[in-house]
Amino acid sequence: MNQPMNQAMNDAAPSARTLARAIAEGKLSSLEATTTAIERLRAAHELTHCIIALEAEEALAAARAADAAIAQGKANGPLAGVPLAHKDMFDRKGKIASWGAQIRADRPAAEDATVIARFKAAGALQIATLHLAEFAYGPTGHNYVLGHARNPWDPTRITGGSSAGTAAAVAYGAIPAGLGSDTGGSLRVPAACCGIVSLKPTWSRVSRAGAMPLAPQLDTIGVLARHVEDLALALGLLAGPDPRDPSAAGLPVPDYLGRLHDPIAGIRVGVDTVLVGEAHPQVQRMVETVAGILTRLGLERADCRFADWQTLDHLVQLVQLPDASAAHAAFLRTRPGDYGPQVRARAEVGHFIAAVDHLTALRARGIFLERTLRETFRNIDIAMLPILADPLATIAELDVRGGAEVQAAMGRVVKFTRPVNYLGLPTLTLPVPREGGLPNGVQLIGRPFAEAQLLTIGQAYQREVPPEIARPL
Amino acid sequence: MADATTPPPAQEEIAAYLDMPADRRALAKAYARLLAKTAGRVALELPINADVDDFRRVLMREASP
Repeated sequence: MNQPMNQAMNDAAPSARTLARAIAEGKLSSLEATTTAIERLRAAHELTHCIIALEAEEALAAARAADAAIAQGKANGPLAGVPLAHKDMFDRKGKIASWGAQIRADRPAAEDATVIARFKAAGALQIATLHLAEFAYGPTGHNYVLGHARNPWDPTRITGGSSAGTAAAVAYGAIPAGLGSDTGGSLRVPAACCGIVSLKPTWSRVSRAGAMPLAPQLDTIGVLARHVEDLALALGLLAGPDPRDPSAAGLPVPDYLGRLHDPIAGIRVGVDTVLVGEAHPQVQRMVETVAGILTRLGLERADCRFADWQTLDHLVQLVQLPDASAAHAAFLRTRPGDYGPQVRARAEVGHFIAAVDHLTALRARGIFLERTLRETFRNIDIAMLPILADPLATIAELDVRGGAEVQAAMGRVVKFTRPVNYLGLPTLTLPVPREGGLPNGVQLIGRPFAEAQLLTIGQAYQREVPPEIARPL
Repeated sequence: MADATTPPPAQEEIAAYLDMPADRRALAKAYARLLAKTAGRVALELPINADVDDFRRVLMREASP
C-alpha cells in the first residue's frame, strides 16, 4: 500500500467508489483493503455486536483472486475488489442465512439473491454477514435470540433496526457500505441512529428475489453508506427489472452517479410543521437545522401537510401485520418457542386482522398515494420529516418484551417512517449535524422513482455536513 | 333433537392453533379492533372498483423522469 493511501485508510474510511478507484489504479490492493476491513470489522464487533458471521478466510482468498484478475485486466467492475458486508437476510448460493433468528431455512440457497449477484457482478466482495433484528422485524436493533446490537457512538444506545449490523459497521468505518431492507423504517432508523446515510428506493425499484420476506407488499431493499456517492453507485447497480421478481419495476435506470452534481437551486422542500410538532422538541430543532442547511444550498422551503398521518399508520399496519403473520404462519404453529418474545407477540397479531380489513388497506393504497401526490406534494418537490420521534434512546429504555407496550413503543419508534412504506415513496436519510452529541437523522421523501433528485440533494448536503466515522463518545 | 340443557359447542377461537396465553390473545384482539375501526372508515370512502393493483399503477404513472 503506498503511503498516501495508507494514511487515508488510517485517518478516514473512504467511500467504496474511492476504494474501487484506488484498487483499479494499483494504489491499493484488494487484499490490503480487505485485511483492513476485517480488522476494523472485528473491532467494530467488539463494540457493537455487529457481525453474524465473519468469513475472513474466504474473503482474503477472494481478495487475492480479485487482485490477480485486476492485474490481468479481467476485472473492471465498478466495485472490483472492494470489501462489503451485508445484513444476513439474503440468499447466497450454498449458504444458509441466519435471518437473525434461531429458525432458518432447512437447506442452503440454490442461488444468490439478485442484489448479491449484482454486487458480485460489479466485482464487490462479501466479507461478513451482519446483525439484524430477528426476522428483520424490529426497528431498534434489539434481538432477543442473537443478542442486541450496540451503537458505535455510545454502546448503551440503540443502533436502530432492523439493518442494525450494517449501520454499525458502516458508521464505525469498517466497511463503506452494505445492504439492508426496509419494511417500516429498517434502512432509515439505523442510518439515523448511527449517523450515516441510506436510501430506501421506491417500492419495486430493486428486486427482492432471494431476500427474506417480512411483508412483501412493503419490503424494499436498499443500501446504507457513509457517502451519498456510494448510494448512487449502488442503486445504479441494483435497480432494474428482474425475471426472478415480477414486481420489480421495468423502468429505465437513470445514471445516478452522473446526475449527482445536477443543480439543486430552486428545488422545493416541504416541511409539515404540524406533523413535525409531534416529535420531541430536540428533534424539531434538528429538522429546522437541516432545513436551514438545505435553504443555504439553494432549496426553497415551503409548507406542506400530510393529511391524517395516523390513518396512513393504521393502513400500513393492516398490510404489514397479516403479511408478516402469513409468512410466519408455519413456524408460529410448529416452532413458537424458537421465537424471541417481541417478534412472536408481533407476528401473532396479524392473525387477528380480518381479511376484509387487510384488503381494504391494499385497495385503498393507490388512492392514498394519488391523494398524497396531489395534495401534499402539490407545491413541493420533496418533503422532509424526522426519522426518530425522540432523541436516541438507550437499549434499556426500549427493552420491551411483550404486553401492550410492544405496539406502543415500536409504533413510536417508526411513527415517521412506517407510513412512508404504505405510500411506497423513495426516501433519503441524512444525518443531522451532531455538534458533539449523539447522532440522529431526517428523511427526504421524493416522488415515485425520484431517487436521482434525492441523491443530488444528499451529495450537496454532504459538502456541508461531511461523513463522520463513529468514535465512542 | 339436541338436549335443551346441553350447551352449544363453543365457537372456535380465532387462530386457535396459536399457542397464546389469554392475556396476549386479548391484547392482539384489541389491537386488531383498533385498526379495524380505521379500515371501516376508509372502506366507506372506497369505490367498489378500487383495486389492489391501483397502487402499482399510480406508482408507475407518477414516475419521475
